[in-house]
Amino acid sequence: MNDSEPVGTGPATTPRPGAVRAGAAWAGAVWALGVLALLVTMPLVARDRLPDPVATHWNGSRPDGSMSVTSAALFPAGVWLALVLAAVVARRYWGGSASGLPAALLAGGGVLLIGAQASIVHANLGRSHWQDADSANLWVAVVMALTALASALACLATRRPQSALAGAGPAAREPVMDLPDVERVVWLSWAANPALQLTAALLGLGAVGTAVASGTGLTDPHWMLLLPLAALALGIGAVSSVRARVTAKGLVVGFGPLGWPRRSWSPAEIESARAEQRTAAQAGGFGYRVNRLGTTVMLRSGGCLVVRTRAGAEFAVSIDDAERGAALLNALADRADAGRT
Amino acid sequence: MLLKLDLGDARPLHEQVAGAIRRAVAEGECSPGDKLPPARELSRALGVNTNTVLRGLRALRDEGVLEFRRGRGITVAEDAGQRAELVDRVRQLIAEAARVGYSRNDLVDLIRGMP
Repeated sequence: MNDSEPVGTGPATTPRPGAVRAGAAWAGAVWALGVLALLVTMPLVARDRLPDPVATHWNGSRPDGSMSVTSAALFPAGVWLALVLAAVVARRYWGGSASGLPAALLAGGGVLLIGAQASIVHANLGRSHWQDADSANLWVAVVMALTALASALACLATRRPQSALAGAGPAAREPVMDLPDVERVVWLSWAANPALQLTAALLGLGAVGTAVASGTGLTDPHWMLLLPLAALALGIGAVSSVRARVTAKGLVVGFGPLGWPRRSWSPAEIESARAEQRTAAQAGGFGYRVNRLGTTVMLRSGGCLVVRTRAGAEFAVSIDDAERGAALLNALADRADAGRT
Repeated sequence: MLLKLDLGDARPLHEQVAGAIRRAVAEGECSPGDKLPPARELSRALGVNTNTVLRGLRALRDEGVLEFRRGRGITVAEDAGQRAELVDRVRQLIAEAARVGYSRNDLVDLIRGMP
């Protein structure tokens, strides 16, 4: 991230290698559950058309090993769970997701197991005995190639080069505000994107119009129009404005006109805070963005308040007066550290 | 904007809230025309009841530091910076006069008698 320029901060130092993307864990969890569901359901759904036991191992083109259908459904699921566990351990102890290893394990392992399961089901489909199962040679070749491709792509997509990490900004707490003991100091700020607000309002108007038209009997209920319009209006409305406050309790960032939903961090959870200039292009567009910079709530290009949590995640929000918000947060984090020791 | 509440201040809370916002305006934390955060947001940030915050905000409106506009929320008035500073000094003067035994009316007389 050499293209993002820290503001009012000292010289950049390399942050903890455990800095991870906030959304990566969720994507991994969804993938893990999806693969698990496929592995278990594939043989069970086709059970009526499979012999029991089914051929699960081949010597050349001749099947030489078998398993009951239930075992064939559960065994790969067990292997997959072990792989997921390995990926979690790799993420935790070997360089985090920045190394690309956990994603490669999950992507490659998932493709390999789904491919193997699909080839087993395909080779046994419509046979009365497992010894009559088809050859799986072609499937094996295709599955191996896809596995290698998926692993490589996942590794490249999540691995962050050292130069990018080095530019991620200082882990040191700068700037820091002088915080007198006799004063309660709070920082409030906000930002809005009028174009997003207008879009949300127009979509909301469309949703209300559709609801009224169908409610009064003018048209049939158009759920396929109403629901997406309402969901888009709410979603865009929620990220069209943002407000942040820093108090002794930490940082609270509220989204939308109601300040809800919101995210919050206590001073003890924050490793450091800084102000940084970011553009919408760097963040990947406007709205709630998750990419190699971490999570960015981008409403307008310019100053952003960036916090790095002790868990290694980075959260940025484009907001006015970010530098003083960061300075107060750093002072509060210092105070939390002093209280701990 | 940065708001500061003095923890040792013995004045009523609504006056302290008004004082914190007045100070913020005087120090240029927010410029004339700027919108203030909603009272509920201020109350959460300062850890003070919303009604107390509203009382402080109304006092600032009466002083001419803030303007309440329907549909636009609460904004900082034109010339609010200078006015807030002046009001702050008058407050100090009243406190100083009270300390040496002069009432507000005595102060008004004193000011009227000035050439």
